[in-house]
Amino acid sequence: MTVLALPAGSLLDAAVFAPLAAGALLLLAGRRLETAWQVIAANLAALPALLQLGFLLSEGRLGGASPLGGFLLEPLGAALFGMTVLVGAAALHRALRQLGQVELPHLYLGLILILWSGTLGAFASPLSTPSGVLAAYVYHEFALIPTFVLTLFWGGDGRRSAAMQMAVTLTLGAMVGLAGLFLCDFQPSHAEAPAIGLILLGFGTLVSLFPFHSWAAPVYSAAPSPVAMLHAGALKKFGLAVIAAFGVGRLGPWSDVLLWLALGNTVLLGAVCLAQRDLKQLVSWSSVAHMGPIFLGLWVADRTGQPDGLVAAAVLMTAHGLAAAALFALSNDVRARAGTYRLDELGGLAGRAPVLAALFIAATMASIGLPGFGNFWGELGVFLSLRDQSLWIQAAAASTVVLSAVYMLRATASTFHGPLRPELAAAESRGDLGWADRLGPLALLAASLVLGCYPAIVTRLFPQ
Amino acid sequence: MDAHLLHWILLLPLGSAAACGLLLRRRGAAAGILSIATAFAVAGLALAVLAGLAPGQTLAWQAEIGRLGGVPIRVGYLLDGHAALMLFVVTFVGAWIHLFSWGYMRDDGARGRFFGGLSLFMFAILGIVLADGLLMTFAFWELVGFCSYLLISHYFDTDFAPPAANKAFIANRVGDLGFILGIAMCLATYGAADFASLKAAAAAKPAPALLGFLLLCGFIGKSAQFPLHVWLTDAMAGPTPVSALIHAATMVAAGVFLMARVDFLLAPEVLQLCLWSGAAMAALAGLCALAQTDIKKSLAYSTLAHLGVMGAALGLGRADLALLHMAMHAFFKATLFLGAGSVIHGCHHGQDMLRMGGLASRMRLTFAAFLAATLSNCALPFLAGWYSKDAILEAAHGSSIGAFALLALAAVATCLYSARMIRLVFLGEARSEEARAAHESPWTMTLPLVVLGLGYSIIAGTYLGLPAAAVHVLPKPMAFHLGAASAVGLAALLLGLGALRFYGRSSGDALRDAAPGAYRALERRWMDDAYGWWIDRVQQPAIEVLAFLDLALVNGLAGKVLAGGIPALLGAASRRLFHAGSVRANAAWFTAGAALIAALLLGAL
Repeated sequence: MTVLALPAGSLLDAAVFAPLAAGALLLLAGRRLETAWQVIAANLAALPALLQLGFLLSEGRLGGASPLGGFLLEPLGAALFGMTVLVGAAALHRALRQLGQVELPHLYLGLILILWSGTLGAFASPLSTPSGVLAAYVYHEFALIPTFVLTLFWGGDGRRSAAMQMAVTLTLGAMVGLAGLFLCDFQPSHAEAPAIGLILLGFGTLVSLFPFHSWAAPVYSAAPSPVAMLHAGALKKFGLAVIAAFGVGRLGPWSDVLLWLALGNTVLLGAVCLAQRDLKQLVSWSSVAHMGPIFLGLWVADRTGQPDGLVAAAVLMTAHGLAAAALFALSNDVRARAGTYRLDELGGLAGRAPVLAALFIAATMASIGLPGFGNFWGELGVFLSLRDQSLWIQAAAASTVVLSAVYMLRATASTFHGPLRPELAAAESRGDLGWADRLGPLALLAASLVLGCYPAIVTRLFPQ
Repeated sequence: MDAHLLHWILLLPLGSAAACGLLLRRRGAAAGILSIATAFAVAGLALAVLAGLAPGQTLAWQAEIGRLGGVPIRVGYLLDGHAALMLFVVTFVGAWIHLFSWGYMRDDGARGRFFGGLSLFMFAILGIVLADGLLMTFAFWELVGFCSYLLISHYFDTDFAPPAANKAFIANRVGDLGFILGIAMCLATYGAADFASLKAAAAAKPAPALLGFLLLCGFIGKSAQFPLHVWLTDAMAGPTPVSALIHAATMVAAGVFLMARVDFLLAPEVLQLCLWSGAAMAALAGLCALAQTDIKKSLAYSTLAHLGVMGAALGLGRADLALLHMAMHAFFKATLFLGAGSVIHGCHHGQDMLRMGGLASRMRLTFAAFLAATLSNCALPFLAGWYSKDAILEAAHGSSIGAFALLALAAVATCLYSARMIRLVFLGEARSEEARAAHESPWTMTLPLVVLGLGYSIIAGTYLGLPAAAVHVLPKPMAFHLGAASAVGLAALLLGLGALRFYGRSSGDALRDAAPGAYRALERRWMDDAYGWWIDRVQQPAIEVLAFLDLALVNGLAGKVLAGGIPALLGAASRRLFHAGSVRANAAWFTAGAALIAALLLGAL
């Protein structure tokens, strides 16, 4: 694709590096920039990524390598890249809306831009070449730093221990994964059992694979909402992308391990969600539990050698990113109105904030796989890809449709339904979501709707 | 005839739902007009399509919207005889219920949401009717469940509607779990999930019994069959037109429709299960209807009983009779619910039958329609309900005497609770101020009652008034002959007349006065108690233990000790730099380390 006579792929470079440049500018010189200029810089930085997404969607093909960063969109990477563009734009929009309320706003904004840029870089780097894998790894680590710093300094309750636990766990996970990558010279074709094991456990930890999931829920609960949106929605999927590139087709002895751990995410952590009494904790836990079906899709693609599970997992990863980001943003809006995340202190908010309630219920429905939203085809596709496996595996995997419905509907009802609680009625409270605050969740849900009604936007990226 | 009219039939309600939800949220009147106009337009279009369709002709169309590896995702239509009948019932009954809602919901503050929900429901149910395969059916199947949730929770600020909505959604999802596994098994066994390919493949290779059981799970959830029937009576928390449309006439019948579409996949063992559970459900639910004082709940039990009858017909291998009963039931049960709605509207939203009475003279049209539908419900010969119910009884008699006995008991129970309802609501003296002040409803509410009650509940058995394409799948209307079924039917009617006198004896409930033990046994919700016990005593404690173990073992041991211990050891040498509390120093260390790794890696490259 040639745009304005620039080399092919330049737009991809711009999409990744513009947020980085804007972020660097804000970190270094942000103090001297007026807020208006900060906002303009952030908005300009988002433009190339959005344009790139437009081309990706309209052309339906992946394009060539970029001259500067060596980026090349591959099927799964392209899906995740596109999702990251939207999630990042929504997170950025949200950060811009918070500028008046946070300390050191230029640093806050700059770090979020860098987090976004790193995530985009991780998904735009090709995992089929050794240098691409290395670059993707570096971008991922590069994005983790702002995640950690943002959580530590701008987070909510429990941010210190959560950030430290995350930093330690994810650094360890990434190092274990890196060791696996070194063992196979960064080439999937050279990967043997020890390398695959290290990659699976290391990168699995980044995706909160059971039982290496403990870091996730506290971080997402404590992190500022744009950070939770970007990490839980987008950045976390990097581990899945690496496992898909290196593990699928080569799991060998690790196949059964992955199966049991993935079922751990689906069933055990799905059940743990039922014990949550705090809205944001629940959203965080459910995001961890929802990794289970994705892992199962990768597992079955390895087991059968058929692409079904991988394509379904790609749809589910994309859709999960959109829905999880919307849920994190909207839970934050609940807190802004009710002053609490505790489910037993919430209740009846739908009367006071009907638009917030409608969007939250829509995001809930997206996350539990209601048809119309992308998650539906993702989840159903994973279940169907398991069709030749034993019935008990299929049943355990599909149990998530009941579990997730129970805990999400329970939380929705405790938050929005029933009579308005007297404490909330008496409290000084903001009203419904304004138009500016609706924009982000609306865009994310609309994207999920498009994916749900026309899943080909993701599935056609894969060779049939 | 091509399929483009079907696009309009499917998408017009979606457009209406979107407009109501996004633009007309605060303009209830505009939303109502749009939604009602859409419903009638869709009914008109459906009639036009059916008129152009010759008997036995099918209309098919499909397009691929994605491909999950080896599984193509297609949207497609298959309008055959069964779908044609269902299309007529859904659009025709749906349109009149939309009109009824205009009057019933006139004072509601959230009409935009309500009518948006109704339109969305029409979209979803029409998707099931038209779908040409299990995948598309399942997508719309789930969407129908969501619409049901949305509309049951219409009065979301009460404390009873939200739990009822959740219960409906979750019970449906439990059934859908089996349905999903069934679809996967279809794909695994036959390599396809569209009805045409499945039918061809199943002719060559009969389906395993397990496949039928799994698909049956979907039916059990959606059509509220035992043991997932518990949600339907609670679903009455929604507005009455919703109960009429979704929880009586169409959605719950969609399970029957699905089973009729895939009847070639049901092995004999599955049919046996369907027969016995359906027949038992019919008898039991009919009796339970005797112990409800809420008019809508009593009708909900009646719906459960009729769904049981349809299930029994399916089990007898007579999908055609099940569909016939589905259609007849839709007409008279919609009328009964709309009549109940009219009564509730007239009595200022009172639903307790013991506080009604004497409404026949105050609400003449409502009474006439309700009475006609009741007689149809009781299978008075030559009324709509008789044609289907009598035929099912006859078929059961020829096949299984046990099932016949249960269905006969159901027929008796139907006449008993019907007589009780007529007696308590319409006859005798008014038993409350509201009943004395009751007034007839406006024409928007009585006109649907007249069409569906005085019209279709009476004549639908002999004259459906719809094109041959839809009717040809139905068994031919039979003439009256005195067999075992007719004998049972007439005996039941006589018992009903007796019940009319029996319930006149008391100012309260005569059965409760005469046999309080039996009444309480019927009133008590045994399955709800069992589920409640399971959730409170088993499930929740187990989950708390699990969450504790996760916190203590996984998080505490693996997360903190293992993951935290290693870096702590590493950091022991430089404890002063790494000491807790200095967040800045930690961040700096972290940044420096990451930068170092990155530099090393780039160097290695």
